[in-house]
Order: sequence, then structure tokens, then C-alpha cells
Amino acid sequence: MEIHRFEKIWTVASILLLIGFIASIVYGAVGPGVAMVDEEGGTVDVETVRQGNYDQLSNFGEPTPVAQQVSGDEYRANIVAQRFAFNPGTSQPLQVPADSTVTLYLTSPDVLHGFELVGTNVNTMVIPGQVTKVTVEFEDPGTYNIVCAEYCGSAHHLMEGTVEVLPQSEFEEVSS
Amino acid sequence: MSADTDDGIVREIGHDEFDPVGTASLIVVYFLILVVMWVFMYFVEFLGRGPTIIG
Amino acid sequence: MATAESTETAGPADTADTGSDQDYFEEFPVSARLVRLNFLVAFVALGIGGLFGMLQALHRTDTLRILSSPDYYTLLTGHGVLLALVFTTFFIAGLFTWGVSDSLGRELPGDWISWSWWTMMTVGTVMATVAILGGLIDQIPMQADVLFTFYVPLKAHPVFYVGVVLLLVGSWVAGFDWFRTFWAWRKDNRGERIPLRTFMVLITMLMWYLSTMGVAVEVLIFVLPWSLGIFEQIDPLLTRSLFWFFGHPVVYFWLMPAYLVWYTILPKLSGGRLFSDGLARIVFVLFLLLSTPVGFHHQYIDPGIAEGFKFVAMTNTMFLLLPSFLTAFTVVASMEHGARQRGGSGYLSWLRSLPWDRPAFTACALAGLLFAAGGFSGMVNAGMNLNYVVHNTLWVPGHFHLTVGTAAALTFMGISYWLLPQLTGKKLRGRALAIIQPYLWFLGMTVLSNAMHRGGLMGLPRRTAEPEWNLVEGDFASGVGALSEVQLQIAVGGVLLFTGVVLFLLVMLLTWTGRQAPSIGVDRTIPPALSGPENSPRILDNYRLWFGIAVVLVVIAYGIPLGDMVADGLLNPGSPPISP
Repeated sequence: MEIHRFEKIWTVASILLLIGFIASIVYGAVGPGVAMVDEEGGTVDVETVRQGNYDQLSNFGEPTPVAQQVSGDEYRANIVAQRFAFNPGTSQPLQVPADSTVTLYLTSPDVLHGFELVGTNVNTMVIPGQVTKVTVEFEDPGTYNIVCAEYCGSAHHLMEGTVEVLPQSEFEEVSS
Repeated sequence: MSADTDDGIVREIGHDEFDPVGTASLIVVYFLILVVMWVFMYFVEFLGRGPTIIG
Repeated sequence: MATAESTETAGPADTADTGSDQDYFEEFPVSARLVRLNFLVAFVALGIGGLFGMLQALHRTDTLRILSSPDYYTLLTGHGVLLALVFTTFFIAGLFTWGVSDSLGRELPGDWISWSWWTMMTVGTVMATVAILGGLIDQIPMQADVLFTFYVPLKAHPVFYVGVVLLLVGSWVAGFDWFRTFWAWRKDNRGERIPLRTFMVLITMLMWYLSTMGVAVEVLIFVLPWSLGIFEQIDPLLTRSLFWFFGHPVVYFWLMPAYLVWYTILPKLSGGRLFSDGLARIVFVLFLLLSTPVGFHHQYIDPGIAEGFKFVAMTNTMFLLLPSFLTAFTVVASMEHGARQRGGSGYLSWLRSLPWDRPAFTACALAGLLFAAGGFSGMVNAGMNLNYVVHNTLWVPGHFHLTVGTAAALTFMGISYWLLPQLTGKKLRGRALAIIQPYLWFLGMTVLSNAMHRGGLMGLPRRTAEPEWNLVEGDFASGVGALSEVQLQIAVGGVLLFTGVVLFLLVMLLTWTGRQAPSIGVDRTIPPALSGPENSPRILDNYRLWFGIAVVLVVIAYGIPLGDMVADGLLNPGSPPISP
């Protein structure tokens, strides 16, 4: 089939461009180490979460307003996203220390929610029956705003919260 | 009104006589815009933001 | 036969050479009636859906509020369903009916089967719309505040889901109507290449049959029975994944008809000929192959799906850009051919020789230009880890208002200026309005989508009734002062676009209610392509082969991940229904 030489050149250029896009994405994964949310968090029974019987779950625990130390500067926190608040996050902030690596575990007892820290790349879905497990490095102290980015019902626009990154000394005070 | 039935053709150009140089020019510009915008989006907007999911 | 040099190209023109001086509605009265009825429903849906969109823009930016914030989600559901499901499907059904009959030179059978699909689609639409409006009207004891994506476990009234099913099944029967017309033509035309417009319709419908499997299974097997209480729980991740199995290819169901217009009619409107028929066929085959095995790119940040499957979806998506890149070249080259035949010259000044005072032309050209921008934001959306920046932010509607909202919608409106006279026997009235309407759309959309893209990067979420000022300010915000400017542009853009809808509907109404004219002022002949179908491999017309390969690619992309989701039970882990 005869194709005009300009169009042949354009086809090759387009394919190189697509490969370039894929290459930058691979670079992001390999260099800075960006990872996608995946199935590592496992599944949970929705009713158990709804009842708050966290002790019956192996892959999720009580909501933690203050991140729990795992070892060194590694921490973990459990967050429940529900209609229409984050627990912790809304009535009290989630507090994590500066210069730490925090693994967040999220789930929902009701509908889909989003968990997004405005101005950052921390952006994930929370799906009932699934545990979202994401690891984030927090450096400088400050406050991040949490927005629920997935429609969850009539008061969806009111659902918001905060994550406070505290300097080490302050964090030590609140965790005792 | 003539504008819809009159295609305004003043000369016929056949298959072998036509090289789309105008299209080539426009598409080169588009290609460059895409490259610049992608580099901006990926390396400034994305990798330039703070906390990121790394695991 | 048109003025084209038929000595150069041996193949037939895409318009069947009926040797007819008749207009389309005279030659094919049965098909014309079917097209008109589809366009009628499409235009009513456009009007209501467009109004809702403007009200949303005004509410969300706190410019003017006539409803409460919970009602915003009713408007949003109506806007999405009426524009992205009803306006599109009905317009496409009309366009395809015209395209098949005109390019084959044959009427659709016009028997009870033909009328049944329009009836099913219309009844389904009315049901779904009434259920949605129940969210605003207390007298209707129903609601469907679940948005166009209807993610469970938020639950709408069962009537909503039944309506969606009827619309879907009706579209399947419509496809059968076009296929059987083609098969009848082929009996009398063995060995001939499929006329291009019919080829595009058949390929689009094959893609539609494959992709709607996802949403059909989702609704018929899971969501509808669950909404009726037959199942007590439902798996949100599984049903969401089945939705997106369909949810990405549906955008190509919207785009491929726009491409049909750009490839087969726009060259003629530009005063030229299609640059390459064969490349158009290749592009459509690529869409059939690649449109469906990409749905996980809407679920990049979902838990429960392994990163490997997301990566496969990403590479398929990136290659899905290729047919659109090829389209950009072929379509612009065809327009350039027309410009030069009209006397244009130079590297760029030929653009001025195009018929910018011709509404159908201008709409298609501006739609293509904005689509080039929308394509870029789509590339960003596709960029797996880059998606973290934009997912569920206002950037996403910014993207799709350029694509379905302009590439598809503006093309559909524009080509209606060219088609309606041929469907009704009446001259276009309100022509001055028709000439400015595409420019108005272009301005409104540039303002709106630019603001949405920037707002999204600043952190404004989508699908949210309140401006959320406080969230995008703070320690880590960017462009704080620009926020109020973004909000203003969204409000202004929304108003401009609705004005564009009103102008379009006014022209349609004036034309449709006018008197029949001895001359409708439209020339329906389409000249043959510069490089015709005889210059492309016959295998391109082997649609069974391409469909088979498409199925294999879908099994590879979806087999294991869906298998994993059902391995722990079809309804597990499950959620009970929750009212919005």
C-alpha cells in the first residue's frame, strides 16, 4: 500500500514520541521510585469494618490519629474514609513526624471515596472491601489538606480533613 | 445562497501533484508543543511535587 | 458524478453513483425519517443536558445558585447521562443510518426491527431521565443521584438501570440493522470494497459490541438484580472494573463517528478530496483492536489491581494514540488539498483560503483544533504515574470537554447544518447564527477547559458542588491568587457554551419548521479520495479477522485481573446498597 513519505515520517515520529512517554514513566518508577497503588493491601469484610471490629482483621487496625512507629523513621497509620469524614483527618488531624516514611492503610465501611493531599502526588482511591496501602515520604513540617476526590453522596463537598507533619520534638510530645 | 453549493474550486489538483507541505509544517509545530508540554508536566508538575507514593 | 478526475482513480466514489439529481430525503425517504427521529431525541437531550451544565458551572463557582448543593449531583447526573449517553448515541444512530444508506445507495429495511430499536432507545431514555429528574422533583418518587458512572454501592432507583439497559440493547439492534443492510448490498456487489462510510460504521459497531459487554454484564448480572433486592451485596471493585471495560471504548464510540465526518465529508466541505482512503481504514481497524484493552487506565490508583496490569493498559493506551495521530495528518492534508484547490498557497497561508464562512466546515475545523489540545491532556491522563497529579481533579473534565464536548459535539452540531436540509428538504434558516455558533463554542470551550485544566493542577476536585477555596490554599498550594480567576472563567465559559447550544437549537428549529424549498442549497456529492480503496490491501475489509484479534487482546488485558476479582466470590467482598 502506498503511503506518502511525509506521513511515513510522521508515523515514525509519533511512535518515537509514544515510546518517549513510556520511557519517562518507566524512569519515574525506577529513578525517583514512584509506585502505583496495587493489591498488596488485601481485602476485608465490609460489615466487620462497619461495626468497627478491627481486632478481627489481619490487614487493618484501629484508626490512628497519631502515626505509630514501626522502626527507625518508618511509621504506619490506619484511616477510615466514610460518609462524610476521614477518621482520623476530619474531627482530629492525622499527625506524622517530619522526615519520615509513613505507610497509610485506608478502607471504607460504605461507598467509594478518594483520599488526596492537595498540592502533592498523594492521591488514591478507597474502595469498600479493599485495603489501600500506600507508602509516602514526608519531609518538611506543615499542614496538608485532605480532599475526598470521589463522589460519595449528597454531602461529598463537605468531606475534608488535614494531615499535620510535625517537627520531631512536637511529634514526640503527642505520641506519648 | 451560493456558499453551500459552491465549493470555490479554482483548480484541480491530482494525487501525484500534491505534497501536503502545509500539513507537515503544522504537524511539526504540534509535535514540538507536545514534547515541551510533556516535559513540563512530567518533570516539573509531577516530579516537582512533594510527597509522592513510593510503595 | 462530481467534478473529480475519475480517469486518475479507478475506484468508485464513496457516494454510490445512483446517477441521481435527487436530494437524500427524496431518494431514501424511509431512512431519512429514521434519521430525523434520532436527531430529534438527540437535540432535545442536548438542550436539557446543556442547560444543566450551565447551572452547574454557575453553582460550583458560587456565581448564581438556584438549587441546593445536594441537587448539584442530580444536575451532574443529568448532564452526563443526557449529553454523554443520550445525545451522542442518538446522533450517532442518525448519522450512521444516513452514512450506510447514502454510501450503499440502499434504504434501511424500515420494518418493525428498524422502528423497534429507536423505540427501545427512546423508552429507555425517558425512563432513565424521569428517574434522574426525581432528584429535583419531589412528586417523582425516584432518584438516580449516582452520576454517569453509577458506581456502587451508591444505588439509584431500578427504573434508572432498566432505562440504561434499554438504551444499550436498542443500540445493539441498530447495529444489526446496519449490518443486514450491508449484507444485502454485498450479495449484489460481490468482490467490491466496502464503501468507506459503511466500513467505518461496521467497524465502530464491532468495537461497540465488544466493549458494551462489560457494562451489560455489570448492569444485567449485578447492578440491576442488586437494586431490586435479589442480591444483598455487590462487589464494588468488580463492577467498577466492568464499567471501565466499557467506559474507555465508549469515548471511541463518540469519536469514530466524528472521524467519519472528518474523513469523508470535511475534505469535500474544504473544497478538496480525502488524502487517503486506505489510511482511514487502517485507523479504524486500529481503534477496533485497541479501544477496549485499556480500561485500567481509569483505575490507575485503585487498590486491588496489580501494577503489571496497569502497565499493560498504559502501553496499549499509548499505542491507541497512534490512530489519532494518523488522523491528524490525513484530515489536515485533505483540508490543505481543498485550500489549494480553492487557490491557496504557501506553507501556512493556505489556511486563509478555507471556507471559514461555511458553518459545517468551521465547526469541524475548530473541533479538530481543540481536539489536538484535548489529545495532549489525554496523553497526561494515560501516563500511569503521572496520573497521580490529575486523577479526579478538575483537569479531567477539562480534558473531556475538549474531546467529547468539542471534537464530537461540535462536529455533530456542525454537520447537522449540512445534513438537516438534506433530511427535510428545507433550506438552512438562521444561517448568520449558524456561522457564528462554532466560533462562540470555540471561545467558550477555550475559556472553560483552560480554566479547568489549571484549576485541576491547583488541586480543585471534579464532581464537587462547592468551590473548595480553603482546600487549595495553605502551606503547599500553588497559584492562590489565580483561583478566583479560574472560577470566573468556568462561569463565563459555561454561559458561552450554553448560548452556543441555544443558537444551534434555534437554527435547527427555524430550519425544520420552515417550508420545503425547490432547492435546498446543499450539494450532497462526495468526490473520490485522492488515493482510493483500490490502493489499500483487501485484508482491511476482513472485519471478522480484526474482531477476532480484538477479542484476544481483551482476554489478555482483562482475563487474569477480572479472574482474580471473582476468585473470592462474584459478590465478594460485597457491600449493601446505600442511598446517595
